[in-house]
Formats: sequence, structure tokens, C-alpha cells
Amino acid sequence: MQSSAASASNPGAVGVLEAVILRSFGPEGGQVLFTRDTGQVLLSRSGTRILTALHLEHPFARMVVECVWKHSSATGDGSKTFILLLASLLRLIHAAASKGSNVSHSYSSTKAAEAATARHLADKLLAFGLKELDELIATGVVPYGGCISWEDFTVEAQTSSLTNNLCVQKLLRSFFHTRCGYTHCDFSSHLTCELLSHWNFKNQLPSFSLQLVSDYFPALHTPVSGFPVRSSRLIEGQVIHRDFATPPLKTDHQPVKAVVLTGSLQPTLLSTGDVLELGYRGRMKEERSILHFSSWMESSLQGVIAKLQTLGVCVLLSAVKQSAAVLALATQAEMCLVECVSEDELSLFSQLSGTTPIWDCSMIESEHVATLAFCRPIQLGAHRYKKHTSITIKPCSLIICAPGEGQIEQYACALQDAIRMLLRTWEPMLAAATTTSKSTLQSHKGASLHTDSLTEQTPYRSIAIQPIQKPGCVLSAGGLFELLLHYALLQHGHSCSVSPDLNIDASVSQLLANALLSVPQKIYSHSPHHFLESQRRVEGPLGDVSELDLGLESVSCKYQLLLAVLQCVASLLKVDAVLPTHTALHTQSRRLARTSWEDTEDEGEG
Amino acid sequence: MALNGDEEDFKWEPPTEAEMKVIQARRERQDKISKLMGDYLLKGYKMLGEACEVCGTILLQDKQQKNYCVSCQELDSDIDKDNPALNAQAALSQVRERQLAAQSPAPSQAPELNDSPSSSQENMSVPQPRPEHCEGAAAGGRTPLPPPAVPPPSTPASTAALAPARPSVTPQSSAQRLVLQEAEEAVLTKLRWATNQLQSSASLEASIQLCSLINSCANSLRSLKELTQ
Repeated sequence: MQSSAASASNPGAVGVLEAVILRSFGPEGGQVLFTRDTGQVLLSRSGTRILTALHLEHPFARMVVECVWKHSSATGDGSKTFILLLASLLRLIHAAASKGSNVSHSYSSTKAAEAATARHLADKLLAFGLKELDELIATGVVPYGGCISWEDFTVEAQTSSLTNNLCVQKLLRSFFHTRCGYTHCDFSSHLTCELLSHWNFKNQLPSFSLQLVSDYFPALHTPVSGFPVRSSRLIEGQVIHRDFATPPLKTDHQPVKAVVLTGSLQPTLLSTGDVLELGYRGRMKEERSILHFSSWMESSLQGVIAKLQTLGVCVLLSAVKQSAAVLALATQAEMCLVECVSEDELSLFSQLSGTTPIWDCSMIESEHVATLAFCRPIQLGAHRYKKHTSITIKPCSLIICAPGEGQIEQYACALQDAIRMLLRTWEPMLAAATTTSKSTLQSHKGASLHTDSLTEQTPYRSIAIQPIQKPGCVLSAGGLFELLLHYALLQHGHSCSVSPDLNIDASVSQLLANALLSVPQKIYSHSPHHFLESQRRVEGPLGDVSELDLGLESVSCKYQLLLAVLQCVASLLKVDAVLPTHTALHTQSRRLARTSWEDTEDEGEG
Repeated sequence: MALNGDEEDFKWEPPTEAEMKVIQARRERQDKISKLMGDYLLKGYKMLGEACEVCGTILLQDKQQKNYCVSCQELDSDIDKDNPALNAQAALSQVRERQLAAQSPAPSQAPELNDSPSSSQENMSVPQPRPEHCEGAAAGGRTPLPPPAVPPPSTPASTAALAPARPSVTPQSSAQRLVLQEAEEAVLTKLRWATNQLQSSASLEASIQLCSLINSCANSLRSLKELTQ
């Protein structure tokens, strides 16, 4: 069993993953078309989608893909760059380790010594990344960029008075260019800005509305296939992706009152296996039969409906399927009912209207009743849905159109990732824990690899880092970040090598600088003269970000990417041996199945 | 597996021209392997958690549950061309090496061989660059020589089983015969040495490796005999 991620004579798993995503990398990268046996087609340029669609049983490969997936769900972008940086870092670390393996003498073979040196280097890199990298970025990279202000969103979409080159649309445009292609990147970025400006709340931080849209994105968009992409638009109101179960409201009187039901109105008193005993009661001489029982149930149901009618409720949104009796009574009472509404739509509804769902049908209060401005059916494509809006907050939904199912998925994912990326730009580090960086690093070093990759919170998230960068910091795209950081690191290395005790820092920053250079190299692999041009741009005047062809990218996303890569490298190199165990049920889910494996320490043997 | 307790005085020096070429060739091969594997993954093959026993590349499995090693089955092995029993060119170059070795100052008497015989095939006793030398040269580099000054055959012990005895179609010439005889001699010397080592060996791992060396020497002798016929 190959115990190192990239041994000297064979390309490791990471090298293979790099070869997989390399063809889709960069602005000229191609798309990958996946076909399933069922005939479904998936079209993607997103690194995460490509990697998670591969069949991988190799533990290192699965671990890396897991890291990429987690990173992508936090930042929304940068999965291919992640793999590139990871591969080049591993190569350089192994090269450095094989050179300097004479340092440690207590190992049985050169291979073990090399592995130990590599691990040591990786830990140093991680420590360097956590301590000094943000300073270097703040001094060496940020001055070449600019800041986007949030107010660009609140500008009306019709006015194109965005004279400032640094605008959100530009950032989104370059994102969609790499993700969906050049054709519709303008349109998509415009649409996203419109959506975000509608959801902008006054007196709130920009990250609040971004977080809201990002969390509820599945409920906020409706995919419609069979139309050209340009037909995508925003519509007023929230769309519930279910049709009415009862005939819709005849009179469109406003305001409409609605309640949310989480359970069935008709309580299930009897379930399979229960025995209902019908018998005599004391002085009652008549027989009891099942008819009496069911009529009693119906009358209790009628009571509930009557209660709802007194509250003026006309619309019932139910999370489950209601029984036929309920349907009949609701139709009689001229209430419309929508069944099987999904969880996120209901939670969005509750959040917007400020009401709580009804748990217990016997206790229906006015706080459960929401007031809507309108509620009507809407036909989108081949499906009929229901649309409503509340009075206080005017939501808007996004309709995404595309010719085929695969493309719809591609656009929807791209939009969601774009919003996540914007969220990360404005809210650089969401520290989940408040402990300092040093103590959590120690505890994670001791933790086994298994928990490191399986815990819900990725390690870098639970480390509190002071964001030095201002929110909204952006830079020209096209490898400029990597180039600038490369030079900053080299300078740092030179200044460190002057003093002998900081010698280790010099080699570490040198290593990182060389690894970073691989990204612009791959971007410009098709056109080397562009690479030289971009290098020349670095020495250009400060703040020169008027390049229209390359677009913008977010600095905090890049920083987070670097930290994630360093974490991943440290975790990968901590593994000494992998023991395969066979699980009884090997299920392959979309979020890679967990095969149990442990790492052992075998250094110092012999 | 650990046989040495003492420290290796391992001074790192920059690689020579020949080594650079070997490193470059190896890197290109790795890139080719990566690219091929990536293509197969995108076609729907599964990347397994096992590596090929022969070359160490990660195995792929297709939809019919058949395992597939990209480097063994698609790319030609890059060390077969250095095996003197299989390739006349390699045999000729080995003769040249020995002549040069005889002329240059004798290499320092190596101390008692204390690492595993599997690394014995790496030899760089003669510092002149030999571009077509086997790939083990660059990796092993500076390990001490076995006592006989004759460089052992460059058949790596692990891949001897791989290389089948291909009947070569070289014409019978006197130079060829001379070369083959010398190769035979060298193999026999090595066989003798390995037998001696085996008799005195105390470690299990070392014995196993010595046995495999003997096995590969026997195979080489067989191939050489076939060549002479």
C-alpha cells in the first residue's frame, strides 16, 4: 500500500486529480460532459462537480475531494486552484525532503526520514500561513487591488451610472465567465445583482442579506427547462413549487390569510396494529359501530376548519399530504390547500411572515396566521405552481431558464456559488470558535486523521483569525494574486535569511512562493506571452485595476483557499500508513462514503 | 527490515547531467501516467486504493471489475532497455563501463555491506556520465559498493520477474558473444556473492531479498544462454 501521497517514482493520487481538472482550468478551460446510464447529462466546469462525480476508492483521493467539497461549500469557488496548489506544494515538499533527509538520524530508512521531514515542513508551512500570511497579503497584495462598496447593489438596475470600474457586476462577470462561459456571463451577473438588490434590507449588514439568499437559495429559485437562458428573470413573490390541491381562490380579495400546517389536520388515532374496541357504555343501549367513530372524527375535523374560518384563513400550506376528508371539507369551506410543501420553502415563508407553523391542531391562535398580499397559481414552463407574497416584506424569486436539465443545474449551482463567493468577500472569516489559533492547532495535531476529515467544521473554520483585510477587497483576476504573493514571499524570505534564527522561515516562504507560481503558469500555459505581460503589469502603477479583459477576483476567497490548501497538505502528510478494512455495506452516496481507516505511527522502529 | 544501525553520512550533491536526464525522463513518464489515468477516470473507471505490485502505480478498475495498471499495460517499461540480457545496446554499454572502471582509480573499498541487497543494483562507482544507465542510479546514488569491483548486473531484483525472457534477434557476432560471456561472468559472480551472503545472513527480510536476487540472476543466466543459442 502506497503510504505517501506522492512518492518519488509514481504519480500520487493528487497528481491524477490534477490531470483530471487541468483541462477545465482557466478562462479557456473546457467543460466536462458526464452521462449517466439513465441518460441524464451533467455539464460542468466546476471543479467540485467534476471531482465528486469520479469513482474514487483511493483514501487519499477521497480525502482530498472531501476537503475540496468542504472548501467549495464555504467559498463557492477555487476548487481547481485548490488541487493545483496542493499538487505543486506536495511535489515541492517531497523534493525538499529528499534533499534534506540527512538532518534526522533516528529513522530506519531514508523513506521514513523523508516522510518525517515532509511532515515537519508541512507543519511549518501551516504555522507560517496562519501567523504571517495575512500580513504579507495586506502589505504586498491588497495595495494593488481595490475595494467594492456595498452601495453598488442599491443602485437601481436601470441606471448604468457605474462609472467606477470596481463594481460587483464586474466581479460576478468574471466568475460566471469561468463557470458558465462567455456567452451569458453579463446577463447572469446582471440578474444576480438584481436579485440581491431586491433582497437588500435597510439598516442591515450586506452579509445578512447575502446569508439569507445563500441559505434559502433552493427555495428562492425555480428551474424551468426548455427556454433560452435569456428568458430567466425575477418575479414578485415567493413561489411554492406545488400546485393547489383544491380549486384555487375564486375571489382575489386582499389580504389573504394563510397558515402553515406541519402535520395532518385529521389526527391519526388509529395506526396499523391497533385494535379499536367498540362497546357499550353504561346506560347507552344502542350499539356503537365504526360509523359512529368516523363521524365523530369528522365532526372534530369540522370544528378545526370552523376555527380556521373564524380566523379568516383562506390558504393552508401543509408539509404533509392531507386526507381526503380534509380536502373535501376545505373545498366546502372555500379554502385552498397546498400539500407536500418542502421544508425550506416553509421555513422561508415563516421567516418572511413572522409566523410559526401549527403543530397542534387543537390550538390555533392568531399568531399562526400570516397575511399575504396575493396568492395565485402561476404557470412556469410545464408546471403549475403557486405564488404568493407577504405584505411587509416583498420577496422576489428567480426563474432560471435553460434549454436542458444539465444546463439548468449548471446555472443554478453557478448562481449559488456566486452568492457564496460574495458572502465570503464581505465577511472574510466566520470564526466558529473563539479560541486562539495556537491552542486549536495543537489539539488538531493530536486528533486522528479520521476525525479531522469527518467533523462537520473544517479545521480552519474553528480557528479564529483576525481579518486584516477590509471587507470587499478585490483584485484583478488572472493569476495576479499569486504573482504578487510570490514576490512578497520572496522578499520576506530574503529579509528573513539575514538573521540566522529565522532561517527556517526563509525556506518555508521560498517553498510557498515557488508553489504559488504554478497557478499563473497553468493559466497562461496556452499563451506564454500573456504570462510575461501579466508579470509586467505587476511592476506597473499601484492601483491600476482598469483591466477590462481579465475581471476581478476576491482577495479573501484566495486567502481562505491558501489556508485550506496548507491544512490539507498537513493532514495528508500526517498519514504514515493506511490500513484497509472492509465494511459490511459499502454505499456510495453523493457525499463520499466513509470507509474506516486509521493511521499508525511506525517511525522510530528498528 | 532495518539492517543498519549506524548513520549514513549522506551528503547531498546536485545531480549530474545524466541524472538530470533520467529525472526529466521520469517526470515526463509520471506526467504521461497521470494524464492517462485522468482520462480513464473521466471515462468512468474507478481509482482503487491499491497499487500495482510491479510498478507501484495506482490501479484502475473498469465497469467489468477488471483491474488495470496504466503504466504496465500501456506505457512500455522504461527499464527494459537497460537490461543487458534483453538489449544488446545495454550490454555493449556495460562493457564500455567496465573498461572505463578498469582504467579509473579503483573505488574505495566499501565497508561490510550493511544495507539490503535490493539496493545493490544502484551503482555509480564510475563517476563518468552514462546516460543510458538504469533508473536506479539516480535514486540510489551513493550507496557503498559490494566488495567485487565488477558492477553487478543492472537488473533490479524487483523487476526481474516482470521482464520475461524475450528471445532476442540480434545477429551472432564475435563482439556480441564476448559481451554475452562477460555478462554471464558478471551474473555468476553476483550469484556467488549472493549465495555467500545468504549463508551468513541472519535477518529474514535480507534472506528473502537475497533469494530473489539469486532468482533473478538465474533468470538472467537463462536468458543469456538463450541468446547464445
